[in-house]
Amino acid sequence: MFLSVGVRFEANVEALNMVETAGNYTKHRRVPYLVEEDRKLKTIYVPAISGESLAHAYQWSLVKEALAMNLPVCEDCAKGEFFKSMNKAHLKKKINPIPDDSKKIEAAIIKSCIIEDVGGFLYAEKPPVRRSSAFQVSYALPIKSMALFATAEPQLHARHAQMDAKGKKGNVSEQMIYYVETGTALYGFTFNLDLDAIGVSSLGAGPIIPEEEIKARREASLKALFRMLSSAQFGAKLSRFFPVGGITELTVVVTEHPFVVTSPIYDSYVERTKKRLEVIKEAFGEDYFFDSTNEVPEETLRKAIEYLKEKGYI
Amino acid sequence: MDFPEVVNMLRFFVRMRNFGYVDRMGNALTYEPVEMAILEALRAFRSIHESAKTDENDRKYIEKNGKKIYLPRIPDEEEIRTFLNAVRKDMSVAKRVATLALAFPSKGGEE
Repeated sequence: MFLSVGVRFEANVEALNMVETAGNYTKHRRVPYLVEEDRKLKTIYVPAISGESLAHAYQWSLVKEALAMNLPVCEDCAKGEFFKSMNKAHLKKKINPIPDDSKKIEAAIIKSCIIEDVGGFLYAEKPPVRRSSAFQVSYALPIKSMALFATAEPQLHARHAQMDAKGKKGNVSEQMIYYVETGTALYGFTFNLDLDAIGVSSLGAGPIIPEEEIKARREASLKALFRMLSSAQFGAKLSRFFPVGGITELTVVVTEHPFVVTSPIYDSYVERTKKRLEVIKEAFGEDYFFDSTNEVPEETLRKAIEYLKEKGYI
Repeated sequence: MDFPEVVNMLRFFVRMRNFGYVDRMGNALTYEPVEMAILEALRAFRSIHESAKTDENDRKYIEKNGKKIYLPRIPDEEEIRTFLNAVRKDMSVAKRVATLALAFPSKGGEE
């Protein structure tokens, strides 16, 4: 089963993805974006949130859900440090001595950590072992029709610096001023989860953990997505730049084979997704789940989880 | 036209292991990414200038891993204007400047 989610969310005055601090200036991530104006294409620069940023938040949600369900999470991932068994030092915490067989290495990692099972890993030693992530996430970008209204605006802030008796401390003045760029846009992003990949070897060795645990891991993966979206705990600087806004639209599709919702950056993405699903149903006779809302996104996610439960998938 | 002040500024970022600006300029296919990269590089460079320390010879520097990295001067308005006009006419100018910034300075540069 393959789950694909299209999310639109409004975020005003956010600092969800900062890329660089030079001196007293902290910059928001920005990407070039093609828009059509007066029947001509042009490039504009818009605030963006990287897929890596969203993926980190998802995996952190997954840590919490997995621990709550008594599923295995390795020592590094439990701390939110996703080293992903990248070298001998980290892998030895899972299996010692380290075997020469890549299938045995993969099995040891998957058995001992759901985060690396779902989020993939790269053991970059001899023999190298790589596992693709079972979930995929796009950049969050302003939706096409409103991209020209997206802005990144620097905001001035001041921080008090402690003074010595002379009133100066080195080059530090009493008030340190700094600028933080804030982004404002109606963003869209896509999240995919390949439920068939969870708990199964990517090196052709079949299921690595018992069926019951695979189901539990699938459930934890879905709950993590639910929790990440409903709590809006993604991106940086939430303590002082929690974005004003929230999810405006959410579309969920569950299919037997990989199918990705039409990107929510397009205004007609819900209708196009529906049409594409109908064609696939006619052509291949495959069942699907589809739901979309601009009211309560949690309700749509709940229905998708119920559908997967009915199918005996979780 | 080699635009030495733009090259020196970009070279400073390369020495800081910040390849973002030089890569964006070197790989740009149209004018807009170059203009944006220059705008952002200048903004960051000015900010670094303001918070830099000054040595006994009045030269500005910042410290990275215990080493002093001296700051070149901020490119002047005329050179930026000429550079942007040149890029608008011929995109290969941006690639040439980015390439020079990645090269070892011929004389008088810090490395």
